[in-house]
Amino acid sequence: MTEKIRKSAKILVFSTEKISDPAIDMAGLLKLHYPPTVYTITVPCSSGIKSRWILHAYEKGFDGVFIAADGTDCVFGESCTEKTGQLVGRTHVLMKEKSLDPARLKMAAICSVCSESFVKQIKGFNEYLLKTTNP
Amino acid sequence: MKKKIGVYICHCGGNISDYVDVEKVKKSIEDEGGVYLAKTTMFACSDSNQKDMVDDIKGNELNGIVVASCSPKLHLTTFRNVSERADLNKYNYVHANIREQDSWAHSDDKNGATEKAILLVKAAIAKARLAEPLIPNKIQAQKAVAVIGGGIAGMKAAIALSDKDCPVYLIEKAPFVGGRVAQWGNMFTSNQTGEELITKLYHELIKRKNITLFTGAEVTHNAGSIGDFRLKVSVQPRYFTGTCEEKQLQQAIDACPVEVLDEFNFNLTKRKAIYRNAASEYPQTATIDMENCTRCGKCEAICDKIDLSQKEEILDLHVGSVLMATGFDPYTPAEGEYGYNEVDNVLTLPQFVRMLELSDKKLIRNGKEIKNIAYIYCVGSRQEEDGNTYCSRYCCTSAIHTSVEVKKKFPGVYNYHFNRGIRTYGKQELLYAESLQLGDIYLQGDEESLPEVSGESGKTMVKVKDILSAGRLIEVEADLVVLVTGMVPRADNSVGSMFKLPKGRDKFFNEIHMKLRPVETFIDGVTIAGACQGPKNIMESVNSALAAATKSYSYVSKGELETEPIVAEVDAELCSWCDACTAACPFDAISMTNESSKAIALINNSVCKGCGMCLPVCPTDALNLIAYSNNEIESMIDALAAG
Amino acid sequence: MNGPSNQLNFDALVVGGGIAGGEAALNLASTGYKVLLVEKELSIGGKMIMLSKVFPTLDCAACITTPKVSEISRHPNITIFTSSEISSINKIAENNFEATVVRQPRYVVIEDCTACQLCEQACPVSVPDQYQYNLVGRKAAFIPFSIASPKAAAIDIENCVLCGACEKVCPTNCIDFTQEVETFQVNAKTVILATGFKLFDPLMIPRYGFGLYKNVITSMQMERELAPTRPFNTVLRPGDGKVPDKIAYVLCTGSRDATIGNPICSQICCMYSIKQAQLLMGALPMADVTIYYINIRSFGKGFDEFYQQAKGMGVNFVKGKIGKISEQGNGNLTLRYEDINEGIVKEADHDMVILSVGVLPNQDASDFFGQDELQLDPYNFIHQTDVLASPALTSIKGVFVAGTASGPMDIPDSILSAGSASSEAISYLIQE
Ligand SMILES: Cc1cc2nc3c(=O)[nH]c(=O)nc-3n(C[C@H](O)[C@H](O)[C@H](O)COP(=O)(O)OP(=O)(O)OC[C@H]3O[C@@H](n4cnc5c(N)ncnc54)[C@H](O)[C@@H]3O)c2cc1C
Ligand SMILES: Cc1cc2nc3c(=O)[nH]c(=O)nc-3n(C[C@H](O)[C@H](O)[C@H](O)COP(=O)(O)OP(=O)(O)OC[C@H]3O[C@@H](n4cnc5c(N)ncnc54)[C@H](O)[C@@H]3O)c2cc1C
Ligand code: SF4
Repeated sequence: MTEKIRKSAKILVFSTEKISDPAIDMAGLLKLHYPPTVYTITVPCSSGIKSRWILHAYEKGFDGVFIAADGTDCVFGESCTEKTGQLVGRTHVLMKEKSLDPARLKMAAICSVCSESFVKQIKGFNEYLLKTTNP
Repeated sequence: MKKKIGVYICHCGGNISDYVDVEKVKKSIEDEGGVYLAKTTMFACSDSNQKDMVDDIKGNELNGIVVASCSPKLHLTTFRNVSERADLNKYNYVHANIREQDSWAHSDDKNGATEKAILLVKAAIAKARLAEPLIPNKIQAQKAVAVIGGGIAGMKAAIALSDKDCPVYLIEKAPFVGGRVAQWGNMFTSNQTGEELITKLYHELIKRKNITLFTGAEVTHNAGSIGDFRLKVSVQPRYFTGTCEEKQLQQAIDACPVEVLDEFNFNLTKRKAIYRNAASEYPQTATIDMENCTRCGKCEAICDKIDLSQKEEILDLHVGSVLMATGFDPYTPAEGEYGYNEVDNVLTLPQFVRMLELSDKKLIRNGKEIKNIAYIYCVGSRQEEDGNTYCSRYCCTSAIHTSVEVKKKFPGVYNYHFNRGIRTYGKQELLYAESLQLGDIYLQGDEESLPEVSGESGKTMVKVKDILSAGRLIEVEADLVVLVTGMVPRADNSVGSMFKLPKGRDKFFNEIHMKLRPVETFIDGVTIAGACQGPKNIMESVNSALAAATKSYSYVSKGELETEPIVAEVDAELCSWCDACTAACPFDAISMTNESSKAIALINNSVCKGCGMCLPVCPTDALNLIAYSNNEIESMIDALAAG
Repeated sequence: MNGPSNQLNFDALVVGGGIAGGEAALNLASTGYKVLLVEKELSIGGKMIMLSKVFPTLDCAACITTPKVSEISRHPNITIFTSSEISSINKIAENNFEATVVRQPRYVVIEDCTACQLCEQACPVSVPDQYQYNLVGRKAAFIPFSIASPKAAAIDIENCVLCGACEKVCPTNCIDFTQEVETFQVNAKTVILATGFKLFDPLMIPRYGFGLYKNVITSMQMERELAPTRPFNTVLRPGDGKVPDKIAYVLCTGSRDATIGNPICSQICCMYSIKQAQLLMGALPMADVTIYYINIRSFGKGFDEFYQQAKGMGVNFVKGKIGKISEQGNGNLTLRYEDINEGIVKEADHDMVILSVGVLPNQDASDFFGQDELQLDPYNFIHQTDVLASPALTSIKGVFVAGTASGPMDIPDSILSAGSASSEAISYLIQE
């Protein structure tokens, strides 16, 4: 068997039901391609993601975790942006403790029609991860 | 109880199966723990497959199902209903999105798409293994609807709701109802004037006892959600305690020292700070524009019915649904765009429509009688990438209709239409035919060669490379240039942000799905109608208003609504009441309680919205969101990671 | 034959089971009213259920129609009569309409049929399949199409030779040749007319050669070729089964043309042609697609962007009026057209031509009413008596119009119009 060439990194995306997941859907609708090793788990709001889930993903072999945050559009209120930022901050600390590169966790606000931005971000993230992580 | 899960993988008639090998997916997941049966189906959502699912669930006593098909945003309810019909709690059904987030997104990589589908389905199975039956919360739905915006859409929606015996609050920001339609004279595709139409509807409105109309009113605050919106509305006073005698009113207006541009006439004329309504504006009473009034008291001194000391009122409204009908603004051209504000006989179409209304025997601009009128189409519409890329839909017809009106009223006029392809769709085509018959001249440019306007030595010239005559440069000397401006969202759309309404690429409020749910928004309980959703003519605005009224009515008519039982849960053992969660909760749903003499957090289920903001701040990990527990999420991650 | 069971009472009678009629029925039913939905064809779903994907979102039409259709057919407040027509409707008083509905026998007991297709295989008769717009054949015992609702066989008695082969193979004995025409007396308090539109018949324009040249087809036939439930599973030209690679669209076939008696614009053809062109570019990446047009009317939400997208994908747009189409020996076609930009007559060769046929009125509803006159507009669509303030009102109080029965419109507009008609009907039911 020939050695597999790694074309894309394994990325877990946390999307949100009302805001960022529709954008990811629309990326598909518009046939904007991104690597198929990007998997989404949808939650109600990005500010409710636990650090332990993120760490669990690295432990199980994910190269990166991408939080497609609600941003200011969040239906649960403006504090979402700040709180999502805080949880990312806390997780970065925990990642450093485990000597994980904090850049393997990325967050960006993805509005409900930000399909292009989502795909751009994911592609950039994928390239970064391919360069920095070993298969 | 041991799980018996049924898995259904959809071809979507090729939309999925052209890129994802669905049979392979089926084979790869058949032996997953808990899977009792796995099937592929041409259309999972079709009637026959739904029947099959019900039979499977009942016949095999399945206690979990996974559907792998299109986005759950389309058919979540469809499959939840399937489970319920089969007496399976609907929260035992889990969805995997293998179309929008797989077959379509990876149509360039069939192997990759198939591998991804396998993992997505496995993750859904993992979640289904852990899913528990849940009972939806029932909430009271207040039987009343707030309609925001009293244009044609809002007025019609209010009347339709009222006729269904549903109390309505109609909230209009301006001192008068009628919206834009009140500004138009003769209208297409009927021979009514704006005044006739609004007069008729206003009388319909006030006839109805269960409509409460607020003019000069704005929603300033919103709390609550579907079934239970709590709104604060600020109502500006009219500064009149009764009607002034006509002569006195005129004297008061004459006495007013403040003169401002009159927006009703799109700044063509001026008015005082105290002013009369136009004939088409209701209620028919004068008002004072406090933004410009200097409170000099001159008018008060003339008529004792004027009272400048009146104060704004703040009202609390309680409604079950909100219907948004805030309309549009005409596009304002940039300085110098086709000579706008630079060449002085350049007007916009809305201005021209007002000018026609104000003109009697002759059509005169700057003392000169108008003979040649040039209409430049698509101003502010169909722009390049970063601008308004959309077509404004109403304007071709409106411009042609107006030009025909001009010709009827002033037979000596010549109309030159600098268009980009005429879009008089449907029966409106006849107006175009009529205009051609009247001898109007049509010149067509395209995105590469747009018309140009120049105003030198007192002459206004419009020229274009006319693609209808093999690209010849044609130049017309115009006495008046009418910029056929498109529709844009209201400049002040802050009320939308207050309700967190998503906007589309065109910045208008966005529906959930153009065909499946065209008047609903992602915000449960808030519907949209009329031109605030996108450019529309009157008929289209009214159709959408009535459709939205039906939807809003369906939320409140039964007095009760089901909401998702997805709320936060406290693990009493782990909780040590540090209070961190109360600060994180945006809805004040958490308080302290004592359980077996230990202080712990208590979630108020009817207030908790299930956002999960409290979860990550808990230092002891005592909080979980139902259906998103550590177990569920981590087992999904395990399944996804396994590939 | 007609016992008391043929006397039925409903709150609302909805005529036409296309997307507009279906949506109106659902709105009424979920508000709690009992609805009778009468559909002339063997399946509900109207034109939409036959489409491929729909502009401007490119959702597959079936994905949107099938769940709606199944919601309609399952709704406890909706009764559906397929193969049925209205013979008369009389208004007795407000909230009191008496209708006579005639149901043609299907010769199959719907409830018992499992759609196993054994009868289809057994039937010896083959005729053109109207649901595939005659692109392929079907049997006299047949299931209308794969996503039909109800999904049950039917016997086309006109073509049936009464050989009894289907009866023999049917495992559930659901074929019943003794079924007869049934007549129902229906009382309803309100009526919604959603009888839809007719497609322009291109035989009316002989110079386009439709019916004569096999590789000239209609847009509806192309919809079928592109649909997920398509007959050939690929796009090919009917003449010789060759995969086409130079395809032309002729817009405004039967629209904006006073010479054939239809001066109005059909409102949907530009957009569906652009849609089909995009789908063709996807299905046949090497193919050339040219659209001959007078004006492109991409006016709705997201439509102009959709048009730009098609240009970006390489669809050719030629502003030109087609004079004549003629066939060459190999089945290819020569289009003679006036190039409007250059003002000269040109010719171009294509190997397949699609006529973007327009929307014509369906005048059925004008015959329903006895003493009350249902007014039609000058183009024979149902007249909207208060087009601006209440677009669903007709000349008869209590009778409302939904969808394309009142004029051309696309699916989103048909759905909004159905919402409007059902709102008026509910108000009428409550107020009168
Ligand atoms: C020049 C021109 C000519 C036209 N002629 C025709 C014609 O002849 N025939 C035809 O069919 N159509 C015509 N139209 C289109 C027609 O004007 C629109 O279809 C119609 O006005 C849309 O109605 P609406 O109620 O959605 O919006 P609007 O008319 O814009 O009304 C919205 C209302 O909401 C109020 N509002 C806004 N924000 C708030 C807020 N925050 N709180 C409370 N209230 C708020 C506004 O004050 C306004 O009263 C024309 C349009 C233009 C520009
Ligand atoms: C080739 C083509 C492609 C299209 N593509 C798109 C697209 O991509 N996107 C889009 O938005 N729109 C598209 N459309 C338009 C779309 O088909 C219509 O908007 C829609 O079907 C209108 O629905 P309707 O219910 O009003 O009418 P119809 O679909 O015509 O339904 C009317 C129903 O009434 C029944 N009926 C008629 N007379 C009687 C009677 N006397 N008694 C009982 N029943 C009766 C008919 O059998 C039918 O089921 C397309 C149209 C065509 C022709
Ligand atoms: S309706 Fe006509 S004028 Fe208006 S943007 Fe569209 S094409 Fe231009």
